[in-house]
Amino acid sequence: MRRAELLERYRALPMPTTTDESWRFTDLKGFDPDAFVQNGHAPGPGPRTMLEIDVAGLATVDGGGLEIERAPEGIRFELLDESHPQLGELVAADEKFAAQNAAQWEHGLLVHVPKGVVLEQPLYVRVANPPDGEALFWRLLVVAEPGSRFSLIEDLSAPDPELAGYSNAVVELFVGQDARVEYVSLQNLARETWHFASHRARVGRDAELDWVAGGFGSKKGKIRIENDLAGQGATSRVTGAYFADGDQHLDYDTLQEHQAPNTTSDFAFKGALRDEATAVWRGMIRVEPDAQKTNAYQENRNLLLSPKAHADSIPGLEIQANDVRCTHGATVSQVDREQLFYAMARGLTQSDAERLILRGFFQDVLDRIELEPVREALGEALEARIPQG
Amino acid sequence: MALLELNDLRVSLEDGTEIVKGVDLDVSPGEIHALMGPNGSGKSSLAYALMGHPAYEITGGEALFDGQDVSEMGADKRAQAGLFLAFQYPHAIPGVTVTSFLRSAINAIRKARAGGEDDPVPIPEFRKELLEAMEHLKIPRELAQRYLNDGFSGGEKKRVEILQMAMLKPRIAVLDETDSGLDIDALRIVANGVRELVGPETGALVITHYQRILNHIKPDFVHVFVDGRIVEEGGPELAHKLEEEGYEAFLPEGAEA
Ligand SMILES: Nc1ncnc2c1ncn2[C@@H]1O[C@H](COP(=O)(O)OP(=O)(O)OP(=O)(O)O)[C@@H](O)[C@H]1O
Ligand SMILES: [Mg+2]
Repeated sequence: MRRAELLERYRALPMPTTTDESWRFTDLKGFDPDAFVQNGHAPGPGPRTMLEIDVAGLATVDGGGLEIERAPEGIRFELLDESHPQLGELVAADEKFAAQNAAQWEHGLLVHVPKGVVLEQPLYVRVANPPDGEALFWRLLVVAEPGSRFSLIEDLSAPDPELAGYSNAVVELFVGQDARVEYVSLQNLARETWHFASHRARVGRDAELDWVAGGFGSKKGKIRIENDLAGQGATSRVTGAYFADGDQHLDYDTLQEHQAPNTTSDFAFKGALRDEATAVWRGMIRVEPDAQKTNAYQENRNLLLSPKAHADSIPGLEIQANDVRCTHGATVSQVDREQLFYAMARGLTQSDAERLILRGFFQDVLDRIELEPVREALGEALEARIPQG
Repeated sequence: MALLELNDLRVSLEDGTEIVKGVDLDVSPGEIHALMGPNGSGKSSLAYALMGHPAYEITGGEALFDGQDVSEMGADKRAQAGLFLAFQYPHAIPGVTVTSFLRSAINAIRKARAGGEDDPVPIPEFRKELLEAMEHLKIPRELAQRYLNDGFSGGEKKRVEILQMAMLKPRIAVLDETDSGLDIDALRIVANGVRELVGPETGALVITHYQRILNHIKPDFVHVFVDGRIVEEGGPELAHKLEEEGYEAFLPEGAEA
């Protein structure tokens, strides 16, 4: 589809409102996606990274363009061409923000790892927060050919926490037969920036996708995380950790779509909310008629650190096969006063005690993260959100 | 002046119900005091109030620790100053190992004592001390890497309370029924732990229902606590008398033990 048609489509789609079921808890009042300068050509201040890590490939994206700072031999780690045949195959332009991205993205990255290639060190792409009043449409396409193995880290960070921009991301991941991909998406955008993202992966036969989503920044928006378990024996594991405070609102919309038999999906999201922050997590497990012997798990647990913080958790199941195992769990709990007192009775200040309890709360999701620097950075980022008291 | 001094101390619940109704008690370094009383008489409430639990408010009288009125201090400040409570029902903190909890506690106390500057205990020193203390208290090593009190047996929880006491080296230790649920060996270990802690710098208040632990601990003073008040005081012989006769003689008319 040409850009002009995509733009037409974007314009034709109505702006979502809270009367749409999937936007019930995320009110976009006051947000006008057309009010931002698109891909402003003056590069903003460079992104600040959450991670110190040795990498095989490094790219940086901002309003000025995409810069490949290092690319490993033997793979394609390059500017994404808008005529790439797989573009838009997983994330269709049938949703307002995905359509706008399809119509307007300029700087994209292609990661294409050929058959059997194994990268020891991760690939790393840093995406800048758009400057005040500007929009950044970020596009990532990942093709993991059969038998390839690698890690890819996408890090959306802000140099200045007050930037009022608009970030819109679309990520498509094709995980071929027997491939093993670790995908880490860290979102640490400015707290005045709107953020909309659609990520979708297709996991092939006997392939494994291990996905980590960290959510710390942004003002409001929606993050869609969708997986197709498309080949027999495919496995996907998604681990989410998020923290919001002030008046931040985070919205995760996840889909585990089992299309083939003997597939496994395991989604675990934990979040903590402070001040008046809110979060909504919506999870859908869909099992198609052919997907016998599906094993699907989803979990969302929220810890509220302030009386006015609020979380909604909406698990969902749509099962059309009869021989499946699907389990889900959702909880929202307050920090336990007795736990807090117990820790303080040992000499910890209230903020140290909260930090300790918070770390304990997240420990099991952090333990799922294979890359140690990512695990540590997430742990530290979480603890750093409790102010020193 | 005693290290811990309670003068006509009164404690109420959040709904205003008075539970501790005027207690006078002095604990000095080198002394072990036993507090015995029937279920529901307010022993734990007294212990919680001393430690600064927000649900137990000091509503009258005073509790002085080292001359300072504790009601002006948060639980953390009291612990940093050297007050310790071994909980009757210790809480679990899932995701936090015994080791990391203890290290955080020690570092918090060290920081407070260093005037707010970080002064973390060197890790090898901490590890050595922890291993020695665990061995001494016959706590299996693997417990150190488990999440604090998460799925611990009753006896394991109590031993880990004593482990914390041994590591934090308080100046006043209040033990709330640490002996309940312990097997004979553990009881002896806990009693030794208390005896070893108490000395020229440190005193203890041991809340218990049983003579058994007192045989090992050998308290200097025994206080009988009924309905929020100390109704009788004496030496170790008082505990024997209680064991034989029960609380009957101390209860108000018409009440049951
Ligand atoms: N947080 C609370 N909320 C309501 N009632 C309470 C609370 N804490 C204590 N109480 C009540 O106060 C009274 C004293 O309780 P406390 O736990 O102090 O007794 P105790 O002497 O420690 O008893 P035991 O020997 O059974 O441990 C009891 O009647 C108890 O039900
Ligand atoms: Mg009690």
